[in-house]
Amino acid sequence: MRVLIAEDETVIRLDLKGMLEGAGLEVCAEARDGVEAVELADSAEPDLAVLDVKMPRLDGIEAARRILDERPMPIVIVSAFTEESLVRRAAEAGVYGYLAKPFREEDLLPAIATARARFDQLSAVREQVDSLAEALAARKAIERAKGLLMQNQRLTEQDAFARLRRASQTSGRPMRVIAEAIIQTLG
Amino acid sequence: MKILIAEDETLIRLDLRAILERHGFTVCAEARDGIEAVELARSTQPDAALLDVRMPNLDGIEAARRIYAERPLPIVMLTAFRDRATVDKAVAAGVFGYLLKPFREGDVAPALYAAAARHAELLAARRRLGTEQPKRIDMELPSSSGHAWPVRIERAEDGSLDVRVVQP
Repeated sequence: MRVLIAEDETVIRLDLKGMLEGAGLEVCAEARDGVEAVELADSAEPDLAVLDVKMPRLDGIEAARRILDERPMPIVIVSAFTEESLVRRAAEAGVYGYLAKPFREEDLLPAIATARARFDQLSAVREQVDSLAEALAARKAIERAKGLLMQNQRLTEQDAFARLRRASQTSGRPMRVIAEAIIQTLG
Repeated sequence: MKILIAEDETLIRLDLRAILERHGFTVCAEARDGIEAVELARSTQPDAALLDVRMPNLDGIEAARRIYAERPLPIVMLTAFRDRATVDKAVAAGVFGYLLKPFREGDVAPALYAAAARHAELLAARRRLGTEQPKRIDMELPSSSGHAWPVRIERAEDGSLDVRVVQP
Protein backbone atom coordinates (compact mmCIF):
# COMPACT_ATOMS: atom_id res chain seq x y z
CA MET A 1 0.00 0.00 0.00
CA ARG A 2 1.32 3.43 -1.04
CA VAL A 3 0.90 6.14 1.56
CA LEU A 4 1.09 9.93 1.28
CA ILE A 5 2.10 11.69 4.48
CA ALA A 6 1.68 15.39 5.16
CA GLU A 7 3.37 16.92 8.19
CA ASP A 8 5.22 20.20 8.47
CA GLU A 9 7.52 19.21 11.32
CA THR A 10 10.45 17.31 9.87
CA VAL A 11 11.20 15.20 12.94
CA ILE A 12 7.60 14.03 13.24
CA ARG A 13 7.43 13.41 9.50
CA LEU A 14 10.51 11.19 9.62
CA ASP A 15 9.11 9.40 12.63
CA LEU A 16 5.81 8.79 10.87
CA LYS A 17 7.60 7.59 7.79
CA GLY A 18 9.66 5.17 9.86
CA MET A 19 6.56 3.81 11.54
CA LEU A 20 4.80 3.18 8.25
CA GLU A 21 7.81 1.63 6.57
CA GLY A 22 8.42 -0.53 9.59
CA ALA A 23 4.93 -1.91 9.11
CA GLY A 24 5.70 -2.75 5.48
CA LEU A 25 3.92 0.20 3.90
CA GLU A 26 5.48 2.32 1.18
CA VAL A 27 5.64 6.06 1.79
CA CYS A 28 5.31 7.29 -1.79
CA ALA A 29 5.15 11.02 -1.05
CA GLU A 30 5.96 13.47 1.75
CA ALA A 31 4.21 16.83 1.88
CA ARG A 32 5.23 19.70 4.16
CA ASP A 33 1.99 21.62 3.87
CA GLY A 34 -1.59 21.23 2.69
CA VAL A 35 -1.05 22.57 -0.80
CA GLU A 36 1.76 20.08 -1.40
CA ALA A 37 -0.44 17.33 0.00
CA VAL A 38 -3.20 18.08 -2.52
CA GLU A 39 -0.68 18.13 -5.39
CA LEU A 40 1.05 14.93 -4.33
CA ALA A 41 -2.26 13.15 -3.74
CA ASP A 42 -2.81 13.55 -7.45
CA SER A 43 0.69 13.09 -8.89
CA ALA A 44 2.11 10.37 -6.62
CA GLU A 45 -1.04 8.19 -6.82
CA PRO A 46 -1.13 7.06 -3.18
CA ASP A 47 -3.66 4.50 -1.92
CA LEU A 48 -4.10 6.31 1.38
CA ALA A 49 -3.14 9.59 3.06
CA VAL A 50 -2.12 10.46 6.63
CA LEU A 51 -2.47 14.21 7.19
CA ASP A 52 -1.55 16.55 10.01
CA VAL A 53 -4.07 19.32 10.69
CA LYS A 54 -2.02 22.41 11.50
CA MET A 55 0.14 23.01 8.46
CA PRO A 56 1.21 26.15 6.58
CA ARG A 57 -0.71 27.46 3.55
CA LEU A 58 -3.61 24.98 3.81
CA ASP A 59 -4.68 22.96 6.83
CA GLY A 60 -5.00 19.18 6.70
CA ILE A 61 -8.78 19.16 6.89
CA GLU A 62 -9.21 21.48 3.92
CA ALA A 63 -6.52 19.47 2.11
CA ALA A 64 -8.52 16.30 2.86
CA ARG A 65 -11.65 17.87 1.40
CA ARG A 66 -9.86 18.82 -1.82
CA ILE A 67 -8.18 15.43 -2.14
CA LEU A 68 -11.51 13.65 -1.69
CA ASP A 69 -13.06 15.88 -4.35
CA GLU A 70 -10.39 15.17 -6.89
CA ARG A 71 -9.14 11.67 -6.25
CA PRO A 72 -10.96 9.88 -3.41
CA MET A 73 -8.85 7.79 -1.06
CA PRO A 74 -9.00 6.80 2.61
CA ILE A 75 -7.63 9.59 4.80
CA VAL A 76 -6.49 9.44 8.43
CA ILE A 77 -5.92 12.71 10.28
CA VAL A 78 -3.26 13.01 12.99
CA SER A 79 -3.35 16.05 15.20
CA ALA A 80 -2.39 17.39 18.59
CA PHE A 81 -5.73 19.19 18.56
CA THR A 82 -8.88 17.20 19.19
CA GLU A 83 -11.47 19.83 20.00
CA GLU A 84 -14.95 19.00 18.82
CA SER A 85 -15.22 21.69 16.15
CA LEU A 86 -12.08 20.43 14.40
CA VAL A 87 -13.08 16.80 14.67
CA ARG A 88 -16.55 17.51 13.28
CA ARG A 89 -15.07 19.47 10.39
CA ALA A 90 -12.79 16.53 9.62
CA ALA A 91 -15.66 14.03 9.80
CA GLU A 92 -17.75 16.19 7.48
CA ALA A 93 -14.83 16.53 5.07
CA GLY A 94 -14.83 12.74 4.72
CA VAL A 95 -11.90 11.43 6.77
CA TYR A 96 -11.96 7.83 8.02
CA GLY A 97 -9.85 8.25 11.12
CA TYR A 98 -8.63 10.95 13.50
CA LEU A 99 -5.79 10.21 15.91
CA ALA A 100 -4.51 12.39 18.71
CA LYS A 101 -0.79 13.20 18.71
CA PRO A 102 1.51 11.91 19.98
CA PHE A 103 0.39 8.46 18.89
CA ARG A 104 1.97 5.04 18.95
CA GLU A 105 2.60 2.79 15.98
CA GLU A 106 -0.04 0.44 17.35
CA ASP A 107 -2.61 3.25 17.27
CA LEU A 108 -1.90 4.12 13.66
CA LEU A 109 -1.90 0.71 12.01
CA PRO A 110 -5.45 -0.37 13.00
CA ALA A 111 -6.70 3.10 11.99
CA ILE A 112 -5.16 2.59 8.57
CA ALA A 113 -6.56 -0.93 8.26
CA THR A 114 -10.13 0.11 9.11
CA ALA A 115 -9.90 3.22 6.90
CA ARG A 116 -8.76 1.18 3.92
CA ALA A 117 -11.38 -1.54 4.35
CA ARG A 118 -14.33 0.79 4.85
CA PHE A 119 -13.23 3.01 1.96
CA ASP A 120 -13.03 -0.01 -0.35
CA GLN A 121 -16.46 -1.11 0.81
CA LEU A 122 -18.00 2.30 0.05
CA SER A 123 -16.22 2.49 -3.31
CA ALA A 124 -17.62 -0.87 -4.32
CA VAL A 125 -21.19 0.21 -3.51
CA ARG A 126 -20.72 3.54 -5.31
CA GLU A 127 -19.36 1.79 -8.37
CA GLN A 128 -22.49 -0.33 -8.51
CA VAL A 129 -24.63 2.79 -8.20
CA ASP A 130 -22.68 4.44 -11.03
CA SER A 131 -22.89 1.45 -13.33
CA LEU A 132 -26.61 1.37 -12.77
CA ALA A 133 -26.92 5.04 -13.64
CA GLU A 134 -24.85 4.38 -16.75
CA ALA A 135 -27.09 1.50 -17.76
CA LEU A 136 -30.15 3.71 -17.42
CA ALA A 137 -28.45 6.38 -19.54
CA ALA A 138 -27.62 3.78 -22.20
CA ARG A 139 -31.21 2.67 -22.40
CA LYS A 140 -32.35 6.28 -22.74
CA ALA A 141 -29.81 6.96 -25.51
CA ILE A 142 -30.91 3.92 -27.49
CA GLU A 143 -34.56 4.83 -27.20
CA ARG A 144 -33.83 8.40 -28.24
CA ALA A 145 -31.68 7.37 -31.23
CA LYS A 146 -34.34 4.95 -32.37
CA GLY A 147 -36.94 7.71 -32.21
CA LEU A 148 -34.72 10.08 -34.19
CA LEU A 149 -34.12 7.49 -36.89
CA MET A 150 -37.85 6.84 -37.19
CA GLN A 151 -38.55 10.54 -37.51
CA ASN A 152 -35.68 11.54 -39.77
CA GLN A 153 -35.40 8.53 -41.99
CA ARG A 154 -39.08 7.62 -41.89
CA LEU A 155 -38.31 4.16 -40.64
CA THR A 156 -40.56 1.86 -38.72
CA GLU A 157 -39.55 1.11 -35.15
CA GLN A 158 -38.35 -2.33 -36.24
CA ASP A 159 -36.18 -0.97 -39.04
CA ALA A 160 -34.78 1.79 -36.86
CA PHE A 161 -33.69 -0.71 -34.26
CA ALA A 162 -32.36 -3.09 -36.91
CA ARG A 163 -30.23 -0.28 -38.28
CA LEU A 164 -28.84 0.55 -34.85
CA ARG A 165 -28.00 -3.06 -34.26
CA ARG A 166 -26.41 -3.54 -37.67
CA ALA A 167 -24.27 -0.44 -37.15
CA SER A 168 -23.20 -1.79 -33.80
CA GLN A 169 -22.33 -5.20 -35.24
CA THR A 170 -20.47 -3.98 -38.33
CA SER A 171 -18.51 -1.35 -36.42
CA GLY A 172 -17.87 -3.59 -33.44
CA ARG A 173 -18.94 -0.80 -31.06
CA PRO A 174 -21.47 -0.93 -28.27
CA MET A 175 -24.97 0.11 -29.22
CA ARG A 176 -24.80 3.00 -26.78
CA VAL A 177 -21.91 4.56 -28.70
CA ILE A 178 -23.83 4.23 -31.98
CA ALA A 179 -26.92 5.69 -30.34
CA GLU A 180 -24.99 8.67 -29.00
CA ALA A 181 -23.44 9.30 -32.41
CA ILE A 182 -26.89 9.28 -33.99
CA ILE A 183 -28.21 11.69 -31.37
CA GLN A 184 -25.28 14.02 -32.06
CA THR A 185 -25.92 13.93 -35.81
CA LEU A 186 -29.68 14.03 -35.86
CA GLY A 187 -30.64 15.37 -32.46
CA MET B 1 -25.49 10.61 19.68
CA LYS B 2 -26.58 7.56 21.74
CA ILE B 3 -23.73 5.15 22.44
CA LEU B 4 -23.76 1.54 23.60
CA ILE B 5 -20.64 0.53 25.50
CA ALA B 6 -19.60 -3.06 26.13
CA GLU B 7 -16.76 -3.68 28.55
CA ASP B 8 -16.45 -6.34 31.22
CA GLU B 9 -14.12 -4.38 33.49
CA THR B 10 -16.20 -2.07 35.66
CA LEU B 11 -13.53 0.58 36.13
CA ILE B 12 -12.86 0.97 32.42
CA ARG B 13 -16.59 1.01 31.76
CA LEU B 14 -17.13 3.84 34.24
CA ASP B 15 -14.18 5.69 32.80
CA LEU B 16 -15.56 5.34 29.27
CA ARG B 17 -18.98 6.54 30.32
CA ALA B 18 -17.46 9.63 31.96
CA ILE B 19 -15.36 10.41 28.87
CA LEU B 20 -18.30 10.03 26.52
CA GLU B 21 -20.58 12.18 28.66
CA ARG B 22 -17.88 14.83 28.93
CA HIS B 23 -17.83 14.99 25.14
CA GLY B 24 -21.58 15.38 24.84
CA PHE B 25 -22.53 11.79 24.03
CA THR B 26 -25.35 9.91 25.74
CA VAL B 27 -24.50 6.45 27.03
CA CYS B 28 -27.77 4.63 26.40
CA ALA B 29 -26.60 1.19 27.54
CA GLU B 30 -23.72 -0.57 29.30
CA ALA B 31 -23.08 -4.21 28.52
CA ARG B 32 -20.74 -6.43 30.54
CA ASP B 33 -20.38 -9.12 27.90
CA GLY B 34 -21.01 -9.80 24.23
CA ILE B 35 -24.44 -11.37 24.70
CA GLU B 36 -25.65 -8.37 26.67
CA ALA B 37 -24.20 -6.09 23.99
CA VAL B 38 -26.23 -7.79 21.25
CA GLU B 39 -29.40 -7.65 23.37
CA LEU B 40 -28.91 -4.01 24.37
CA ALA B 41 -28.15 -2.98 20.80
CA ARG B 42 -31.55 -4.43 19.92
CA SER B 43 -33.52 -2.97 22.82
CA THR B 44 -31.93 0.49 23.20
CA GLN B 45 -31.30 1.33 19.51
CA PRO B 46 -27.96 3.14 19.91
CA ASP B 47 -26.50 5.34 17.15
CA ALA B 48 -23.06 3.80 17.60
CA ALA B 49 -21.33 1.12 19.69
CA LEU B 50 -17.98 0.99 21.46
CA LEU B 51 -17.02 -2.64 22.12
CA ASP B 52 -14.21 -4.35 23.99
CA VAL B 53 -12.88 -7.50 22.30
CA ARG B 54 -12.21 -9.89 25.16
CA MET B 55 -15.43 -10.33 27.11
CA PRO B 56 -17.15 -13.32 28.72
CA ASN B 57 -19.86 -15.36 26.96
CA LEU B 58 -19.33 -13.80 23.53
CA ASP B 59 -16.31 -11.84 22.32
CA GLY B 60 -16.68 -8.30 21.04
CA ILE B 61 -15.87 -9.07 17.41
CA GLU B 62 -18.56 -11.74 17.19
CA ALA B 63 -20.91 -9.37 19.02
CA ALA B 64 -20.07 -6.65 16.46
CA ARG B 65 -20.89 -9.02 13.63
CA ARG B 66 -24.26 -9.97 15.15
CA ILE B 67 -25.18 -6.38 16.01
CA TYR B 68 -24.31 -5.23 12.50
CA ALA B 69 -26.27 -8.06 10.89
CA GLU B 70 -29.39 -7.13 12.84
CA ARG B 71 -29.19 -3.39 12.26
CA PRO B 72 -26.21 -1.65 10.63
CA LEU B 73 -24.59 0.95 12.90
CA PRO B 74 -21.07 2.34 13.27
CA ILE B 75 -18.97 0.18 15.61
CA VAL B 76 -15.61 1.07 17.15
CA MET B 77 -13.54 -1.61 18.90
CA LEU B 78 -11.58 -0.81 22.04
CA THR B 79 -9.07 -3.48 22.92
CA ALA B 80 -5.66 -4.41 24.22
CA PHE B 81 -5.15 -6.80 21.29
CA ARG B 82 -2.81 -5.21 18.82
CA ASP B 83 -1.94 -8.25 16.69
CA ARG B 84 -2.70 -8.13 13.02
CA ALA B 85 -4.99 -11.18 13.15
CA THR B 86 -7.37 -9.57 15.66
CA VAL B 87 -7.37 -6.29 13.73
CA ASP B 88 -8.14 -8.17 10.51
CA LYS B 89 -10.96 -10.10 12.18
CA ALA B 90 -12.51 -6.86 13.44
CA VAL B 91 -12.13 -5.22 10.03
CA ALA B 92 -13.82 -8.20 8.39
CA ALA B 93 -16.68 -7.91 10.89
CA GLY B 94 -17.30 -4.42 9.50
CA VAL B 95 -16.04 -2.14 12.28
CA PHE B 96 -15.32 1.51 11.48
CA GLY B 97 -12.72 2.15 14.14
CA TYR B 98 -10.20 0.30 16.30
CA LEU B 99 -8.71 1.90 19.40
CA LEU B 100 -5.94 0.34 21.40
CA LYS B 101 -5.90 0.05 25.20
CA PRO B 102 -4.64 1.76 27.21
CA PHE B 103 -6.66 4.21 25.15
CA ARG B 104 -6.14 7.97 25.08
CA GLU B 105 -9.16 10.07 25.94
CA GLY B 106 -8.47 12.30 22.94
CA ASP B 107 -9.04 9.43 20.51
CA VAL B 108 -12.51 8.32 21.64
CA ALA B 109 -14.79 11.12 20.40
CA PRO B 110 -12.93 11.61 17.08
CA ALA B 111 -13.18 7.88 16.33
CA LEU B 112 -16.93 7.95 16.97
CA TYR B 113 -17.53 11.08 14.86
CA ALA B 114 -15.52 9.74 11.92
CA ALA B 115 -17.17 6.31 12.20
CA ALA B 116 -20.67 7.80 12.30
CA ALA B 117 -20.06 10.07 9.30
CA ARG B 118 -18.52 7.37 7.11
CA HIS B 119 -21.16 4.84 8.09
CA ALA B 120 -23.94 7.28 7.17
CA GLU B 121 -22.26 7.68 3.79
CA LEU B 122 -22.18 3.93 3.25
CA LEU B 123 -25.85 3.55 4.18
CA ALA B 124 -26.83 6.37 1.82
CA ALA B 125 -24.97 4.72 -1.07
CA ARG B 126 -26.61 1.38 -0.29
CA ARG B 127 -30.03 3.00 -0.22
CA ARG B 128 -29.46 4.52 -3.65
CA LEU B 129 -28.51 1.13 -4.97
CA GLY B 130 -31.55 -0.45 -3.39
CA THR B 131 -34.02 2.04 -4.83
CA GLU B 132 -32.50 2.06 -8.30
CA GLN B 133 -32.73 -1.66 -8.88
CA PRO B 134 -32.29 -3.65 -11.06
CA LYS B 135 -28.54 -3.84 -11.63
CA ARG B 136 -29.00 -5.35 -15.05
CA ILE B 137 -31.61 -4.14 -17.46
CA ASP B 138 -33.36 -6.51 -19.82
CA MET B 139 -35.73 -5.14 -22.37
CA GLU B 140 -37.28 -6.19 -25.62
CA LEU B 141 -36.99 -4.27 -28.82
CA PRO B 142 -38.76 -5.23 -32.03
CA SER B 143 -36.62 -6.45 -34.95
CA SER B 144 -37.20 -6.02 -38.67
CA SER B 145 -38.22 -9.64 -39.00
CA GLY B 146 -41.11 -8.97 -36.66
CA HIS B 147 -39.64 -10.78 -33.67
CA ALA B 148 -38.85 -9.08 -30.42
CA TRP B 149 -35.12 -9.01 -29.66
CA PRO B 150 -34.25 -9.38 -26.04
CA VAL B 151 -31.62 -6.75 -25.21
CA ARG B 152 -29.48 -6.76 -22.12
CA ILE B 153 -27.54 -3.79 -20.76
CA GLU B 154 -24.81 -4.66 -18.31
CA ARG B 155 -21.21 -4.07 -17.40
CA ALA B 156 -18.77 -6.06 -19.52
CA GLU B 157 -15.79 -7.85 -18.01
CA ASP B 158 -13.41 -5.05 -18.92
CA GLY B 159 -15.58 -2.65 -16.93
CA SER B 160 -17.15 -0.93 -19.92
CA LEU B 161 -20.86 -0.74 -20.25
CA ASP B 162 -22.26 -2.74 -23.09
CA VAL B 163 -25.54 -3.43 -24.77
CA ARG B 164 -25.93 -6.92 -26.12
CA VAL B 165 -28.55 -8.54 -28.22
CA VAL B 166 -29.32 -11.81 -26.51
CA GLN B 167 -30.08 -14.44 -29.13
CA PRO B 168 -33.50 -15.91 -28.57
